[in-house]
Amino acid sequence: MAEQDGFIHLGRPLPSAGAQPTIAPLRVVIQPQALFSILDHCTRRPLDQPRVIGTLLGTRSDADESQIVVHSSFAVSHTETTDQVEVDMEYQKAMLALHLRASPKEVLVGWYATSSELNTFSALIQNHYSSQGEGTYPYPAIHVTVACEPGKDIEVRSYISSSVGVSPERAADSAAFIPVPYTVNYSETDRAGIETLENAKDNDSQTTTVLTEIENLERSLEDTLGMLDRVSKYVENVVEEETEPSTALGQFLLNTLALAPKVDPADIEKDFNNHIQDVLTVSYLANMIRTQMDLSNRLATAQLTMGSGDGAAAGAGSTEKDGRRQNRQGGGGGGQTRQNRAESVSLANI
Amino acid sequence: MSLSPTKQSDHERQVQVRKPFTDDHNSILTGEQYLVRQPVAIYLGYSIMATTAPIVEKDAPLKAVQLEALVVMKVIKHCASRFPTTATGSLVGMDINGTLEITNTFPFPVVDLPPEAQYEQQHFNSAAAAPRAKSNTAYQTEMIRMLREVNVDANNVGWYTSANLGNFVNANFIENQYHYQKELNERTVALVHDVSRSSQGILSIKAFRLSPQFMTAYKENKFTTENLLKSGLKYTDILVEIPVTVHNSHLVNTFLHQVPRMLASGAMKPPTSVDEIENNPVVKNDTLAPTFESLSINIDPYLSQTADNLLDSIETHHVESNNFSYYQRALAREQAKIQQWQAKRKAENAARALSKQAPLPEDEWQKLFKLPTEPSRLESMLNSRQVEQYARQVDGFVAATSGKMFSVRGNLLPGDGKEE
Repeated sequence: MAEQDGFIHLGRPLPSAGAQPTIAPLRVVIQPQALFSILDHCTRRPLDQPRVIGTLLGTRSDADESQIVVHSSFAVSHTETTDQVEVDMEYQKAMLALHLRASPKEVLVGWYATSSELNTFSALIQNHYSSQGEGTYPYPAIHVTVACEPGKDIEVRSYISSSVGVSPERAADSAAFIPVPYTVNYSETDRAGIETLENAKDNDSQTTTVLTEIENLERSLEDTLGMLDRVSKYVENVVEEETEPSTALGQFLLNTLALAPKVDPADIEKDFNNHIQDVLTVSYLANMIRTQMDLSNRLATAQLTMGSGDGAAAGAGSTEKDGRRQNRQGGGGGGQTRQNRAESVSLANI
Repeated sequence: MSLSPTKQSDHERQVQVRKPFTDDHNSILTGEQYLVRQPVAIYLGYSIMATTAPIVEKDAPLKAVQLEALVVMKVIKHCASRFPTTATGSLVGMDINGTLEITNTFPFPVVDLPPEAQYEQQHFNSAAAAPRAKSNTAYQTEMIRMLREVNVDANNVGWYTSANLGNFVNANFIENQYHYQKELNERTVALVHDVSRSSQGILSIKAFRLSPQFMTAYKENKFTTENLLKSGLKYTDILVEIPVTVHNSHLVNTFLHQVPRMLASGAMKPPTSVDEIENNPVVKNDTLAPTFESLSINIDPYLSQTADNLLDSIETHHVESNNFSYYQRALAREQAKIQQWQAKRKAENAARALSKQAPLPEDEWQKLFKLPTEPSRLESMLNSRQVEQYARQVDGFVAATSGKMFSVRGNLLPGDGKEE
C-alpha cells in the first residue's frame, strides 16, 4: 500500500505520566483479518452514523515492544452527537473478556475508527483506551483510522498519541496524534485465501467458487503463458527496433534462461518414471482400498436375495451371508466361522 | 430472538440485524448530559412485521453456501494457528432463498473436557468436541447476543473445523453436526478447512451437512445390519456437500483493487542494471504479485501422508470387521445352544405327550439365553466415507501432478514432448 503522505518517524512521544519503558520507534503490523473485520463493521454501521469504532486486539513483540501486530478487532457500539460521545464500555469489556477466552494470547492494543477525521472525541476515546487500568497503559494505545468514503480509496492510517499541555480540565479530551508507519502483512497460510478473494475481485457479482486443484493449475499455466507472451513480445519489439533496448533487461532475461538445468536425458527419464509410478500407485491403491471396503461393507449388509451370478466374490459372499442370516433367524447352528471370510480375503488382496 | 429468515425483502433483512433498542444503560464517557435514547418507532413497526411474518419455504433445501471474505480469512487464521490440532469455531450469518450467507465467525475457546465427551478415547481432542460442549453453547449464545448489538447477522448457521488432508470424517464430526442440525436450527452447515492443502497454495474449504436419512437413522441410533438393510442407507449418503462460493463486500473489493496499484500503473521506466530489477522495491513489496506455488512439484510429503492416512483407515476397518466376526461367532454359539435346548425341550414334550402330561412351553429359551447385541455399523460406514474422501483427494492431486510432471519431462527432454 502506498503511503498517502510521507512522514519521518523518529521515536515515540514522551509518556504523559509515569515511566514508559522505551521511546524507540513503533511499528504497526495489521493483519488482513483485522482490516476486513473493520471494513465489515463499516458496511454494517447505522445509517445515521458517519463513523463507527471498535477495539483492536493483538500482540506486542516481546523484546522492546517496538512492534505491535494487530490480529483481530471487534466492533463497539457508540453514539456521537455534536457535543457528546457515548461509548458502550460495558459492551467493550464483556466482548474483550469473550475474545480473551478464545484467544488468550491477544491483548488490547488500541482502537479503530472508520473515518480519517481526528477530533475531540477521538482524543477522548484515545485517552480512555490508553488509560491506566482498563487501557493499554503503560504501553501506548494505537489508533487506526480506516476511511471508507464512497467514491474514494480506502485510506488506512495509524497513530499513537501523547498528551498536550493545555489546561488541566481539558486534559481528558485532548491528545496529539502522531502518525506511525504500518504495514499490512499476511502469513503464508493466508495466501491461499487472499488469492481466492483476488479471483472474486474482478467478477461483477463479486463472488467466486473455490477452485479445485486442476483448475488452479490451469490458471497458473495461463498466467505463465501470458507472461511469456509479454516477454517475447517485448523481445520481438526490441529486435524490430520498435522499443528502446535495455541492456539490463536483456541480461536479466539471459540470466533467467540460464537457470534451465542441464541434465542427462536418461536421468530425467529415470526420475520421471520413479515419481510417476509413486503417484499412480498411491492413487491406484487409494481407489482400490475404497472399492474393497465398499465391497466388504456391502457384503456385510447384503440382501438375502442377492443374485447368484454377480461374479465369484459376490457370489461366494452372498451364499455365506445367506447361510448366516438363515442361521440367525431360524436358529440353525454350525459353519459360522467363515462369515467374514470374504472381507478378510478382500483385505489380504490389498 | 431466533428469527429464521423468511421473506427476502430488503428491509426485513435490516430488521433482523438491527439492534433491538433496549435500554440497558451504557457507561458514558463524557459527563455533560445524559441523553435518553429514544426508541425509534419505525423499527418497532418493522420488527413486529418480522416476527409475525409467516414462515415461508422452511423446507427449501440449502442450495449453496456463500462465504464472506472476512469469514475465509478468520477461519484460515484460526485453523492455521492451532495446526496440527483441531480448531473449531462458530459461524453466524443468514439464510436467504436457500443460500446460506455466512458473514461472520468466531473461534471457540479451548475448554476443559466436559464429562460427557469422555467416550472419545482415541486421539481425544477437546477442541474437536467443542461445538457441542455445554460451556461453549453458553459462550456462543453470549457472543451472538453481543454481535447482534453491532448489527452483525446474529443467527447461528453452523460451525467450522480444521482438517489435515481430509481426515475429518469421524464420530466427532458427525456428533457435532448432528447436535447442530438437531438442536439449534436445521439449516446449519459444517465448514471444513483443510490446512495442509491450503498451505500448498490452494484454498480448500468445503461445506457439509448430514443427509436427512442419516439424521433419522442417527436419531434412532440403530446401525445394525437389519436396519441398514431396511433403510438402504449407504456410506455415500451420510454427508451432503454443498457448493461454496466466496463473496467480497464492496469495501473489500475496493481495498483489494487498491493493493496492486503500484505494479499496474502504466509503463515503468527501463532499468539501468540487473541489480535494479532484482531488488526493485515495487516488485518486492507487491504483496499480491502472482506466485507459482501451484506449479511446483512437491509430491513426496503428500503421498506419504496420504498413505499413512489410508493405512490408519485400513486398521480401523480391520478392527471393525474383527468386531463383527467376533459378534457373529458369539451369536452362532448362542444359537447353537438355543437349538440344543429347543431340541431337548421338544423331546421332553414328546415324552410328556406320551404320558398324557401338559406340554412345557417351548419359548422359554428367550428368558434363558441372551443374544449378544450387534455392534454398530456406524464406525465402518464413517470409515468408508473417509476412505472415499481420501481417494477423491488423491485423484485430484494425481490429475494435477501427472500433468505437471509430463510437462517437465517434455521441457527437459528435447524432441520428446514437443508436438508443436
